Amino acid sequence: MSGVLVVCEHLSGEFADITFELLALANSLGAGDVSAVTFGSMAGKASELGSAACVIDAGCEDEYNPESYAAAVSTAVDAHSPDLILIGSTSMGMDIAAPVAAAHGLPLVAYCTTVEATNGGFACSSSLYGGKLGVSSQVSSPAVAMVLPGSCDGDAGRVAGSPAVNELAIPESAGKVRFNRLIEPEAGDVDITQSGVLVAIGRGIGSKDDIELVAELAELLDADLACSRPIVDAGWMEKSRQVGKSGFKVKPRVYIALGISGAPEHIEGMKNSATIIAINSDEDAPIFDVAHYGLTEDLFDVCEELVEELE
Amino acid sequence: MKIAVLLKMVPDLVEELEVDSTGKALDTEELKFKLNEFDDHALEEALLLGGEEDEVVALALEGEGNEKLLFTALAKGASRAVQLTGVQPGGSGEQATAFAAALAESSFDLILTGVQSVDDREGQLGPLLAARMGLPCVSVVTGVSVTDGGATVNKEYSGGVMAEFEVTLPAVLGIQSAQQPPRYAPVSKVRQMQQTATIESLTVGGAGGGAESEVTAMAPPEVGASAKMLDDAAALLEVLRGEGVA
Amino acid sequence: MRQGQPADRSDKLPTRFARALLEVAMQKPLASARPLVNIFHTFIFFGFSFYLLVNVVDVLEAFVPNWETIWQGPLADGFNLLADLFSVFVLVGMLFFLHRRFITKPKVLEFNSNVLLHPGVAAGGVRRDSLIVGGFILLHVGSRWVGSALQLAEAGGPDPWLPTASILLPLFTEMEPGLLEQTIRATWWLALGLILLFIPYFPRSKHIHLMVAPVNLALRRETPRGALDAVQDPAQPGSTTLAGLPWPQVLDAFACIMCTRCHEVCPAHESGTPLSPSALEINKRYHINAHATEVAASGARQNMLEYAISPDAVWSCTACYACVQICPVGNEPMHDILELRRSLVFDGKMPDELGEVLRSLDEQGNSFGESNRRRSKWTRKLNIKDARKEAVDLLWFVGDFASFNQSCTATTRKVAEVLTAAGVDFGVIRKGERSAGNDVRRVGEEGLFESLAEQNIELLEKCEFDRIMTTDPHTYNALKNEYPALGGEYEVVHYSTLLVELIEGGAIQLEQPLAGNATFHDPCYLGRYNGIYDAPREVIERCGLALVEMPRNRENSFCCGAGGGQIWLNDHDDMTQRPSEMRIEEALSVGVSRFLVACPKDMTMYSDAAKTSGHEEEIVVEDIIDLVHSAMGIEGVAA
Repeated sequence: MSGVLVVCEHLSGEFADITFELLALANSLGAGDVSAVTFGSMAGKASELGSAACVIDAGCEDEYNPESYAAAVSTAVDAHSPDLILIGSTSMGMDIAAPVAAAHGLPLVAYCTTVEATNGGFACSSSLYGGKLGVSSQVSSPAVAMVLPGSCDGDAGRVAGSPAVNELAIPESAGKVRFNRLIEPEAGDVDITQSGVLVAIGRGIGSKDDIELVAELAELLDADLACSRPIVDAGWMEKSRQVGKSGFKVKPRVYIALGISGAPEHIEGMKNSATIIAINSDEDAPIFDVAHYGLTEDLFDVCEELVEELE
Repeated sequence: MKIAVLLKMVPDLVEELEVDSTGKALDTEELKFKLNEFDDHALEEALLLGGEEDEVVALALEGEGNEKLLFTALAKGASRAVQLTGVQPGGSGEQATAFAAALAESSFDLILTGVQSVDDREGQLGPLLAARMGLPCVSVVTGVSVTDGGATVNKEYSGGVMAEFEVTLPAVLGIQSAQQPPRYAPVSKVRQMQQTATIESLTVGGAGGGAESEVTAMAPPEVGASAKMLDDAAALLEVLRGEGVA
Repeated sequence: MRQGQPADRSDKLPTRFARALLEVAMQKPLASARPLVNIFHTFIFFGFSFYLLVNVVDVLEAFVPNWETIWQGPLADGFNLLADLFSVFVLVGMLFFLHRRFITKPKVLEFNSNVLLHPGVAAGGVRRDSLIVGGFILLHVGSRWVGSALQLAEAGGPDPWLPTASILLPLFTEMEPGLLEQTIRATWWLALGLILLFIPYFPRSKHIHLMVAPVNLALRRETPRGALDAVQDPAQPGSTTLAGLPWPQVLDAFACIMCTRCHEVCPAHESGTPLSPSALEINKRYHINAHATEVAASGARQNMLEYAISPDAVWSCTACYACVQICPVGNEPMHDILELRRSLVFDGKMPDELGEVLRSLDEQGNSFGESNRRRSKWTRKLNIKDARKEAVDLLWFVGDFASFNQSCTATTRKVAEVLTAAGVDFGVIRKGERSAGNDVRRVGEEGLFESLAEQNIELLEKCEFDRIMTTDPHTYNALKNEYPALGGEYEVVHYSTLLVELIEGGAIQLEQPLAGNATFHDPCYLGRYNGIYDAPREVIERCGLALVEMPRNRENSFCCGAGGGQIWLNDHDDMTQRPSEMRIEEALSVGVSRFLVACPKDMTMYSDAAKTSGHEEEIVVEDIIDLVHSAMGIEGVAA
């Protein structure tokens, strides 16, 4: 067989956005039939995966498990020999792609933003070096591609239908990784996913003391404060304020990025904001690629001036 | 308990990255390297996990700046440092093969590495290594605690949701962040290590990385394609007023 | 002391002691502050010095038969007169001090409530000690004075050589001769016996300062103020114990008279943080006294952070040198703190934000976390020579703040424009420059300092130039005072000095002088550390401004709060007002609207402080180059 195999990610009984983005991409390739691998009881929602020609019910527990899900996808590859396996460049996808590629000796291309079918293989473009460089590569078929969330239009993949559902017989898991429980985030004082205006700070802030000034600005703009991952890692702000891959996806009316360089992991979380304004002293910062307005100045100076004006 | 931490240098993104004349690779002339920040977290997590009787071994492939990197790991508190020689630096696949060869000999309980790096186009070192060694692997880990024969790890999903897993050891973990920010290694101590400590050397065969893709082009994304660049804070204020937020 | 680390102070011993004794005799070390207190101290000092002689004479009088016949004539009369007058001086002086410490209780004698105190100190030990010593002096001198009045009563009349005792005389003329004799004996025993009684307490008390202070002054450091001691043991740099300090710094504890002058001038203590250099010395002393027997063994190895100074206090010091400069007995609390920092940093114990900055300095060579290639971004369109590629007369070592900080780069450009207009042949080393490391050394990261210095020296070796110029006093200090020990010997000039040279030589023509008045803030590392006070003042006055001094000027200048790495650290939670804000208010109090600086860090600190203290409308912060630039009528080039 040939075609494209899409690994369908889900969480808490719902298919994740990346699933539909991958389906849309798979269909746009014109590289044969698209089959979608689902896990646990998600095959029961096969009708949501109408853009796939068939659904492969790989079984497994409902809750994601790095070991058994990867083994199941491997089995599906054995059974279907696809030309291309599309996996999300996500927390879950990271556990699955490498073992699948290794098990079948397939080449793996990560951080893809585009994938196109070419003669005898695929042309991929990966966003590397914190989004500062795009790397195009050619890979022979069959191959595994990890696709960055937000690279394709998920809506195009959200097609209802009634694809055939094939059950896959999977080997018993070795049981070396066992799911315990889900830990929901501690409720922060603010739900940034609901904010109309967000002022977000990144590594460029330099010192914890300077957050005070930004907070002042946020208050004047009637905005909530958010941040990128390094700020949380440094312990300067709560996890509940983090925007990005491992944080929250936000869609405010206005998103003001201060000192955020714009790594793909961050952009993933805020690119759907209605208006994005970026302030960064580095004129080459990738954040300016997604921003609607940009300003290359010292963020502290800008904040001070804005606060002064607004007061 | 024996913990291995795999360390790797990556281009420092503070510097401008330039593409060389082939158009397919980074111009290494002005390139500056630094420790992959996620590896720094992995090292920190290992040092936090490692007690008096545990052994934390830092490993890195031979390469420019890697000796200082390993001395720095020793200065931070690693028990031993090992440099792997005989490997041509390549992508994550080749690195995984080299590390797998090095680690196969010793019985490590935990192998920690950064969840990803800015240049791992061929996939992440952790899961690639685990696949070669036949070990369980969990990526995007933000917390590890070790119990009898196993580890309890937190894996981060999106939206701040985490999942807790039990993992049978030995295992490979891709660390996203340590439980506290990575410590600073004083240069005084690094220099002292350079004079008193030794870095072990381990030769591993130049094994290949398996099937690979071929780079055809490398280029910065179009900058400011969509952003309208403003002149000053006053112009910014205008925009904010236009959006009705100021 | 013997537990302390070796430090050679044995050179030129006679000169050292002669100078110290002369200074003590002139009471010079006191002169920087507190004039009123100094007068009374001088009373006691001279009185007490003379009393040494008095006591000897008194003992001789009691034990040498026929002393009265031996000891008479003009010499005895003169002696009596002096003894009589000095008695009153001491009594008046002592009463003043006791009144000050126990009745008026000026706030400067107190510690901020967050300062770590040894239990003995916290229990009021300093006050008790003051009372005992003060009481001893009053009784000792007082009873001798009364005694001489009684002797006059016995002799039957006043003596012109004992004028003040003669005034007391009428009180005793009615006394019975027997009782009189008894009382004279009692006063003699009180005066001299008290000394015997006091002797065991004396070494533990603040009174010992009269012995230790001159020794401490004689044995003081003679290296440049701006050059820190080399690390003794690279395997364990710095120290957290008394045993690890150079021995003169252990001696400091006994020279201390607990006058707290040091914390009065300390920007950290004044702004409410838990640092008191005075408490540090006093705590050391109490610790040694409390563990007198074991100090030799374990006590000297106890962690000073437990009893002498809190870690927060260690990280509050601005390394401004004010405490060392002001100390009348030659103590160096700042050096203790810097040794503590070395040890803490070596063990990785430091504020998180400091680790970030040091990492950037190590990886990028600057404290701004920026690519070092951006170091010369400010030179855009200015056509400045690259001193790595061609020979120049003047190599300008720009420094981190002047290169990267956005509130400084406009000033930096003006310096370039002035030099160009003056026809100076100068160049910069662009991305080849690394932070000079002055403040890196002062946060205790000796290794990183060495690494930065070595990189700079290596590059400077390859450049051809006559002199190095810098606008940054911190950079100036490191290059001038600390690089020589690492093999980098240069003629270094601060731009203020250079500007004076250029003005005097006619290369700079100030054709459009300014008018009005202004005040000037002496940067610690220019003034106190390197003694350059006049050059910036000269520049200001040549530009036509009338200089109005703030109360704290020149060597008594008050630090902006940025030194010693504080510019990289967060404000302490207990900080009540930033030192820079106090300074802005000090400037306003002398009625000026121009606040002049000659240091890039000051530019940042004070333009911020003018804003945060709400005085932005009333005072403008300018660099001295701003004056020269506009007095020369230079049209700037837009960046």
